[in-house]
Amino acid sequence: MTTDTWQEQLRRGSLDLAILLSLSHGARYGLAIIQHLEAFTDLVVTEGTIYPILGRLTRDGLLDATWVEGEAPHPRKYYRLTRAGQRRLDRMKSDWRAFTDKIERLIRAAESAEP
Amino acid sequence: MTLSESGESRVNGYLYVLERSLAAFLPRDTVRDAVREIESHLRERIAAADMAPNERVVLEKILSELGPPLRVAQAYSAERTVEEAVTTGRFIAMLRAIWQLAVTTLSGFGMAIVFFTGYASAFAFFAIAALKPIFPDNVGIQFIHGMPIGLGVHFPGPPPGSELRGGYWVMPFAAICGLGILVGTHRGARAFLARWRARRASHYD
Repeated sequence: MTTDTWQEQLRRGSLDLAILLSLSHGARYGLAIIQHLEAFTDLVVTEGTIYPILGRLTRDGLLDATWVEGEAPHPRKYYRLTRAGQRRLDRMKSDWRAFTDKIERLIRAAESAEP
Repeated sequence: MTLSESGESRVNGYLYVLERSLAAFLPRDTVRDAVREIESHLRERIAAADMAPNERVVLEKILSELGPPLRVAQAYSAERTVEEAVTTGRFIAMLRAIWQLAVTTLSGFGMAIVFFTGYASAFAFFAIAALKPIFPDNVGIQFIHGMPIGLGVHFPGPPPGSELRGGYWVMPFAAICGLGILVGTHRGARAFLARWRARRASHYD
């Protein structure tokens, strides 16, 4: 596996968590979610493909979606976490921390063993 | 920011291609909602952008960041089509999902051939069961030199040197075989799609 492929898999695998995290402090519409992700990460490569993920998370009951008109010249579709989404996010955060802790320990062990 | 006529035409062209691409796989209301959301994204980006001095360059940058309409449509349809098939198990949804994977992935193409063969065989058995009471002398097991070589329908009659045997028991036999193959194929296809879906979870840009 090349480094690029590995990084791509890592990036893709983290997108669900990143999207849920971007909604943890309240509702956001699609572009605002993308801009939030872009401000902190380089996870979004093709903006348009974030929307199908938002759709899937909504259908899975993790997000609520509502069209809001009149706020801007064009309607915006706002997403917010549902209770199930919040529970999933808590679990994903916990899993992520446990996973990165283990990898970090492994890296430290490998580096301390180096001559 | 207001677009020029050519800029507006470019945006509408993008949305048209997206809509047509989505319509090939998704229900109309889903397509409408998806296109509306992508248009909202585009209008927002355009409104925030400084289109001077070259509107076309800025617009192309916005569209390229959004992604080609076919790629966006593919991400939508792959999520939705496979999901609907796995969730409902409906025959049409399954065919759509298998077709979707067949034209986009190598493994999907291979599996589509397997599933097509399975579904076609099942319907062939059903056809045999249905045609037996209508054409009793043309439907049955074909024997050549006393050896059975196949079950089928022959018009105007069995080929020279062969004979058709089998009474009306061929009907339940063919129906049970068809049902068995259909259920097996359908379950196999659904399991394949479920595995594909799990593997592809969160796998879009």
